[in-house]
Amino acid sequence: MSDVLKGRAWVFSDDVDTDLIYHNKYLAETDPKKMPQYSFEYYPGKENFAREVKPGDFIVAGKNFGCGSSREHAVYCLKEAGVPAILAETCSRIYYRNAINNGYPVLFVKGLSEAIKAGKIGDGDDLEVDISTGSIKDATNGATFHGDAVSDLERDIMSAGGLIPYLKSRKKDVR
Amino acid sequence: MGKTMIMKIMERAAHKEVHTGERVWCDIDWSTARDFGGANCTLQFDEITENKGKVWNPERIAFTFDLQAPSHSEKVSNNQKIIREFARRQGIKHVFDINRGIGQHVLLEHGHVLPGDVILGTDSHMNLLGAVGAFATGVGNTDIAASWLNGTNWFRVPDTMKIEVTGEFPCGVSMRDFLTLLVGDLGAGGLDFLAVEFTGDAIDRATLAERITLCSMVTEMSGKIGLILPSGAVLDWLAERAGPEARVRAGAIKPDPDAVYIETRKYDVSRLEPMASCPDAPDNVKPVREIAGTRVDQVHIGSCTNGRFEDIAAAYEVLERGGFKVSPDVRTIITPATTEVMKKCAERGMIEKFLDAGIVFTNPTCSLCTAEHYGALPSGDVGCSTTNRNFIGKVGKGSHTYLLSPMTAMATAVRGVITDPRDIVC
Repeated sequence: MSDVLKGRAWVFSDDVDTDLIYHNKYLAETDPKKMPQYSFEYYPGKENFAREVKPGDFIVAGKNFGCGSSREHAVYCLKEAGVPAILAETCSRIYYRNAINNGYPVLFVKGLSEAIKAGKIGDGDDLEVDISTGSIKDATNGATFHGDAVSDLERDIMSAGGLIPYLKSRKKDVR
Repeated sequence: MGKTMIMKIMERAAHKEVHTGERVWCDIDWSTARDFGGANCTLQFDEITENKGKVWNPERIAFTFDLQAPSHSEKVSNNQKIIREFARRQGIKHVFDINRGIGQHVLLEHGHVLPGDVILGTDSHMNLLGAVGAFATGVGNTDIAASWLNGTNWFRVPDTMKIEVTGEFPCGVSMRDFLTLLVGDLGAGGLDFLAVEFTGDAIDRATLAERITLCSMVTEMSGKIGLILPSGAVLDWLAERAGPEARVRAGAIKPDPDAVYIETRKYDVSRLEPMASCPDAPDNVKPVREIAGTRVDQVHIGSCTNGRFEDIAAAYEVLERGGFKVSPDVRTIITPATTEVMKKCAERGMIEKFLDAGIVFTNPTCSLCTAEHYGALPSGDVGCSTTNRNFIGKVGKGSHTYLLSPMTAMATAVRGVITDPRDIVC
């Protein structure tokens, strides 16, 4: 089934840490729905993200996205804002777990870090992303990329909608 | 094919043979949460179990309050209350409230951590418990809430990098300096998804405090866990706290002689010099002499990375050699990791000397790892800290932080500008 999503790109560098995504000042928040208002408040040049992001927009990032803290706030604040997926060259392991556990798609896109540095994909570009095949097209300038969707157990957790629904569907026997 | 330490740990927990790259379900020895993320975990657990759920084992869950201890905001106070009430309702006795200190350190001191344990916590520096051969990892609230359902969770069996550290540290140089060098070499994503085994004579000689420093910063290279096989005085200390089982469990995680490593790196620390992580990233590394003379506004010594007694004692020695006085132009704050560490500082008469020198000596807490704590920096200020992160605006928008060893931090407090501690102590 083709599943092409269209949205604008918000482009970020390598090593975007969780304090830049969701600053430690707001850690006491426990309601995921209230978290989007703080997204990227501390990212220089992206202070407008929380106000201007539209449902359907994508996060486009280089290597090691989400390094640092284990705060799941940094996943909720994007998911609840309606960002359908994160497109990153690589994702830090704790962030990756938190995304998978929420059934939140992360596509690992080879060459994305260099493409960002070279200006081949920029803020506001219109993207067409097929989550199921990993095909990514920048309709603004024609560049194409390929993202690998998660495999193995992570795919099963994703298709169940996250870790909790996965465990509930498997009852007690998770081995 | 031989097994690495992490493979042996996961085989015990998964009750089967494991292979790198494979996903396995591991039994959890401890599933812990802080006042950071803790209320998110308890609220989520109540929600998914419709307020009727019982945790899988109340004896294996611990709460540690260290984000704000004592809390100074109503929101965090309320989160702490939510956690206390959940613990009461679920019969969870291991609640280390605002009077104990940094969670991982507290669990360790109370004898709750054994080599080979699998431990979850809402702290990305949980993995400092690799210093005693435990596989501890920071996770989000969903991982914690899920593990409370039936005491398991999923893991990818990682490849392991071996890092061999040899030689004696020269005067004025410490494990923190080696670590800073390593973070600079490998970069912020240099260990993504990898486990590390630290070996070599410098590791064999290392104190528990030094081992903790080393393992804690594996997070800053996005590593899964840094492991050190407990040995010598560290194993004796652990056996004293956690019981004789610690020796048996340490023996069970010894890597096989033919274990396969993805890479082996070797370092000799005998000619190392003091190092610094410069603004605004832990992997922006320079020798301290290259930034010496930089004006600073605040110095902070503490954190899960460098807040143990040995760290504070190293800073004390620099203060003593510097005439027991810090620069009046610098705000200097020391935060011990735990109450036990604080008591030891008090017993040795150190706290009085720190106070007389013009230093603020606080109760044990995570303190200046967040901007929501005392000592947050105003825009334009330059801080020096022994914490583990100096991300953009981490402890205050528009401020910048240098990460230094406890010795370099105190040398800087004494002189008021970034100072190579060898200028004072060697």
